[in-house]
Amino acid sequence: MAQTYDAVVVGGGHNGLVAAAYLAKAGKNVVVLERRHVLGGAAVTEEIFPGYRFSVYSYVVSLLRPEIIRELQLPKHGLEILPLDGTITPLDEDYLWRVNDHGKTVREIRRWSKRDAEAYEEYSQLMAQMARFIKPILSAVPPDPGKINLFEWLPLVGLAKEFKDLPRRHQQTFIELMTMSAVDFLDQWFETDPLKATMSASGIIGTFQGPRSPGTAYVLLHHYMGEIDGAFRAWGIPKGGTGGISNAIGSAARALGAEIRTEAPVASIDTKNGRATGVTLENGEQIRADVVLSSVDSHMTFLKLMDPGALDPTFADEVRRYKYRGSSGKVNLALDGLPELACKPGVGEWLRGAVSFSPSVDYMERAYDDAKYGRFSQRPYIDMIFPTLVDPSMAPPGKHIMSCFVQYAPYHLADGQVWDDDMRTAFGENVIDTLEERFPDIRKRIVHKMFITPKDIEDVTGLTEGNIFQGELSLEQLFFNRPVPGWARYETPVKDLWLCGAATHPGGGIMGASGRIAALEVLKANKAGMRNGSKRSKAVA
Amino acid sequence: MATRYDAIVVGGGHNGLVAAAYLAKGRRKVLVVERADRVGGILANVELAEGFTAPGVAHTVGRLRRSVIADLKLEQQGLELLTPEVRVFAPQPDGSGITFWADAAKTADRLRSAFPKAADRYVAFDKRVRALASFLAHVNAATPPDVQTPSIADAITGLKLGKAFKGLGAKAGREATRALPMAVADFIREGVGEEPESDPVAGALAARAVLYTAMGSWAAGSAAVLLNDSAGNDGGIAGQSTFAKGGSGALADALARSATVFGAEIRTGAEVASISTDAGGRATGVVLASGEEISAHAVVTACDPKQTLTRLIDPVVLGPELVWRGGNIRTPGATAKVDLALAGMPKFNGADPDQLQGRIVISLGIDYLEKAADAWKYGRICEDPMLEVTIPTLNDPGLAPDGHHVMSVLFQSAPYDLRDGDWEIEEDRLAEITVKTLERYAPGLGELVVARRVRTPRDLEREVGLTGGHVYHGEPGLDDFFAWRPLLGHARYRFAIPGVFLAGSGAHPGGGVTGGPGANAAREILSDLKRS
Repeated sequence: MAQTYDAVVVGGGHNGLVAAAYLAKAGKNVVVLERRHVLGGAAVTEEIFPGYRFSVYSYVVSLLRPEIIRELQLPKHGLEILPLDGTITPLDEDYLWRVNDHGKTVREIRRWSKRDAEAYEEYSQLMAQMARFIKPILSAVPPDPGKINLFEWLPLVGLAKEFKDLPRRHQQTFIELMTMSAVDFLDQWFETDPLKATMSASGIIGTFQGPRSPGTAYVLLHHYMGEIDGAFRAWGIPKGGTGGISNAIGSAARALGAEIRTEAPVASIDTKNGRATGVTLENGEQIRADVVLSSVDSHMTFLKLMDPGALDPTFADEVRRYKYRGSSGKVNLALDGLPELACKPGVGEWLRGAVSFSPSVDYMERAYDDAKYGRFSQRPYIDMIFPTLVDPSMAPPGKHIMSCFVQYAPYHLADGQVWDDDMRTAFGENVIDTLEERFPDIRKRIVHKMFITPKDIEDVTGLTEGNIFQGELSLEQLFFNRPVPGWARYETPVKDLWLCGAATHPGGGIMGASGRIAALEVLKANKAGMRNGSKRSKAVA
Repeated sequence: MATRYDAIVVGGGHNGLVAAAYLAKGRRKVLVVERADRVGGILANVELAEGFTAPGVAHTVGRLRRSVIADLKLEQQGLELLTPEVRVFAPQPDGSGITFWADAAKTADRLRSAFPKAADRYVAFDKRVRALASFLAHVNAATPPDVQTPSIADAITGLKLGKAFKGLGAKAGREATRALPMAVADFIREGVGEEPESDPVAGALAARAVLYTAMGSWAAGSAAVLLNDSAGNDGGIAGQSTFAKGGSGALADALARSATVFGAEIRTGAEVASISTDAGGRATGVVLASGEEISAHAVVTACDPKQTLTRLIDPVVLGPELVWRGGNIRTPGATAKVDLALAGMPKFNGADPDQLQGRIVISLGIDYLEKAADAWKYGRICEDPMLEVTIPTLNDPGLAPDGHHVMSVLFQSAPYDLRDGDWEIEEDRLAEITVKTLERYAPGLGELVVARRVRTPRDLEREVGLTGGHVYHGEPGLDDFFAWRPLLGHARYRFAIPGVFLAGSGAHPGGGVTGGPGANAAREILSDLKRS
C-alpha cells in the first residue's frame, strides 16, 4: 500500500527544501525525495579528498532571500555566512583590487583613472538605488501577458506606479539595465578596461552570453542586491560550504515536520486523468500525494519523469524549445599551501576575496567566441576563491582548497567531440595552465585536483545540459516566459503538479525565491479550493 | 531677418522630406535645408562612372509605408515601384543556391529537394512572421506614450495597441513578448529547424536582422530588427526586394516634388551650423554655416539624435544631463557600401538571371553572420563578410549603358573605428575582399568591373552626415526602442528643448526607408502648431 502525503517534493536542492519547509510550516504533511546521498543539488559540500571538503558546484552566496532566512530561522539551524572581501583582477604587471571598503576601492580606481574614480561613486549610488527599486520583482508572481486578469497584474501596478515616480534618469537607467549589454552599459561610465571586464563578468556567470551580449547588464544589479546581514553588495561563503545552506534549510524543514529522504530517486511522476497523483521511485515504491512539487528543471520534469506523449503537444514543444546551454565548469583543487600571484607576491588580504581572471573585455569576448563555436575557452574567465582563508575547517590544518568557477565550457561541443575523460582532462589542465600564468607556483602546490565539466554537472546533479540556473537567463526566458509562456505562475497544465525550482521566476542562484513563492502559491490555491468547496479542497487538506 | 517659417526641417533625407511634405500638406510654411547638393540622404543616387547610376546606400525601398505613398501622392510625382517576383537568392559554396520567392508556397516547393525539413516548416513560419510584423506595424504607427505623465491620448493609443495585441490572440500575444527580445539565431531556428542541414536557409533568412547593425546573429533583440523590417510591408520571412525605377534617388526626388507641390521650399547646399535659441531656452530657428539666420516656430531635425544633441544645440541650453545622454547614444557603424560598374551581366552559379533580380545575400549560416560581427568587435574588416547585393539594372536597364550593369553591395562588418590601419588605405582592401568573396559564387566577376566606388562608415559620416556612419541613426537594440528611442522622455518627437522635433530614423519606429519617423513626427508637430 502506497504511503500518502499532502505533498511530495521531487528533488532535494535548496529550492525543493525551501518549498517543503514552507508547506510543513503551514501544517502540511510533506516528503522530499532526493536522488543522491547528500542534500542540496548544486549546493552541496562533499569531502572529495580525505580531509578536503568542497562546495563542489556552486560556491558563493549573496542572493538568498532575507525573508527565507528570517521566516525559516535559518541561523538557528546552523546557517552562517562568512563575508568575502573584494575582488582582485591580476594583470601582467599590475592588478586591480576592489574591496568592500568603498573609499579604498575608489582610491584604487583613481590609480587607473581619475574620471573612473569619480564615476564609480555616482555609479555605485545609482546601482544601489536601482537594486532597491527592482527587488520586489524577485518576490512577485509573474502575470500572464496573454490574459488580462486584474488580480495577476495587481502586484505590478504598485511597481509601475513606483517606476512612474522615479526620476527620469533612474527610469532610463532601469531600461538600460534590462536591455543593454554589460559592456555597453559600463562604457557609459568607465574607461578602465580591467575594471569594465571584471564588473561585466558578473553579467555572464552561468549564461551562454558574452559581456557584449545584449541583456547581460541586468545581472550587474545582482551584485547590488545581495544582502548579508542587511549589507548591500557583500558576497559570502556559507560556513561549511554551500552545503551548509542546504543542510540549514533541511534542518529547518525537518524541525517543521517535513520528512526528507535521500537516496530516493524518483523514476516517474504519476498521473491519473490529467492529474498528478504522486511518484514512483526507482525501486518501485509508490508514494501518493495530493500535490506534487517538482524542483528539478522543466526538461527533467516533463520529458524524463513523465511521458511527454501524454502532454498537450504544443506544451511539450514549448518545454523542448526552452534553452539550457550549460556554459560553465568547475575546477576544485586541494593545495598544500597558498600560491602567490606574480603581480602581487606574498600572502595577504587580497587572497581572501575573489581572484578574477578578467584582464580585458576582449579577453572575455575571446573566451565567449571559443564557446560560440563549440570549444572550451582557450583562456577562460575564472572566478576563483580560497574558501579555506575564510573557513579553515574546509581543509586539514595548514592546507588549502581553491575553487575555480570556469567559463566557458559549452555543453555542446563542435565537430562531433564529446565530453569524455580526455576532454575533461584537457579542459582542466587548460584551466591550470591559465592559473599558472598568474600563480606561477600553482602546480607545485596542488595535491589533488577535480575537474567538472557541464556534462558532469548534468550527470551528477541532474541539471539539464549542466545549466546551473535550470535554463538560460536570456530575456525571452525570464519572468512571464519562464519556463513556458502562459505557465510562469508555478502551476503546470498537469493538475496538482507544480514547479518550484530555478526553472521558474526569478531563476537561478542560491536564492530560494522560486521554492518559497511556489509553496505559497500552492497553499493559496489550496485555500481557494476549500473556500469554493471544489475537489481541490482535498488537494493539500 | 528672413521670412519666419512655421517649420524648418534640418536634413533632406527621406524622413526630412516626408515630414516637410506632411507639414506643407497641413498648410504650414515649411523650409527644408539640406547640406548636400541634392536631397535624399541615404537614398540619393551616385554616379559611379559616366552613364552608371548607383543607389548611394539603400538599394531597396519596399519598406516605405503605404499610407505615405498614398497621402503624399508619390505615384503622381513619378514614383514607380518595381517588384520582382524573387526576393532573395543565396548562393552556396557548392555551386547551388537557395531562392526565396514572394510566394511562400512556391519557395517551400523549391526548397524541398535540398532542404526537406525547412521546406515543411517554411509556410507556417512565414505566416507567424507576418502575424508578428502586422502587430509591430500598429506599434510603428503610434506615437510612443509618455511614461511619466500619460495623457488621455496615450491611453487611447494604449487601448488601440492593446486591441491589436489582443487581436493576436493570447497565444500569439505571449509569442510576441517572447519573440522580440530573442536572438535572431534562435528565432530563425525555431522557424526553419535546428538541424545543421537547415543552417544555410537559416543564415540566408537571418541576414536582414543584422544588416546596418553591429549585432551578430546571437545578439538578443536581433529578432526584433528582422520583424521590424517586415512590419507594414509584404516582406514576410524573406523580406522585401522592391526597387524604385530610376534608382533609390528617384524616391527622394518624388518626395521632394510632393513636398514642393504642397508648398514647401527646399534649399540644397545649405548646411545648418546650429539651432538658435532664445533666453528661455526655446528654439527659434537655425543658423547656417554661411552665417545666415532663419527663424521658425519649430525646428525639425531629421539628422541623427546624437549629432543633434552634441553638435546642433548649445550645450549650455541642453544642460549636462542631456549632453551626457546624447553622447552615449550608440552609433556603432558597421556597414560599408561598394558599387561596381560592370561591362556585362555576371553569372552566378546556380541562378538564372531572373533569380538575381531581388537581393543576393551572402550569408552562409548562423555562425557566418556571428563571425562577421566578431570582426566588428575587434575593429577589423571582416575577411568573410556578409554581403547584401543587388543588380538594379536587371529591373531598370536605364541605370547603365546598354549591355552594362550596376552592382550595389552592402558589406558587413566594416567597423567605423579600425583598430589597426587607416580607412584611406583599407578601403581598397575592402573592395578587393568584396570582389573576391563574390567571385566564389560568380566566377569571372572581377574581369567585368570597369569602375568601383567604396563608401566606408567614415565616408558615410562625412558625406551623408551619419554619426559613426550608422545608417539607422542609432543602434536598433532593445535599449533604443519605442518609448526610449532615442532616449526615454524624448521619444514623442518633441526633442531635447522646446521647439525642437526629431523626425529622422533616430526616432520611433527607427531606421530603414519607411518614412515612419517623418510621418509620425509631422502628426505631432501639426498638433502642437495648432495649439500655439
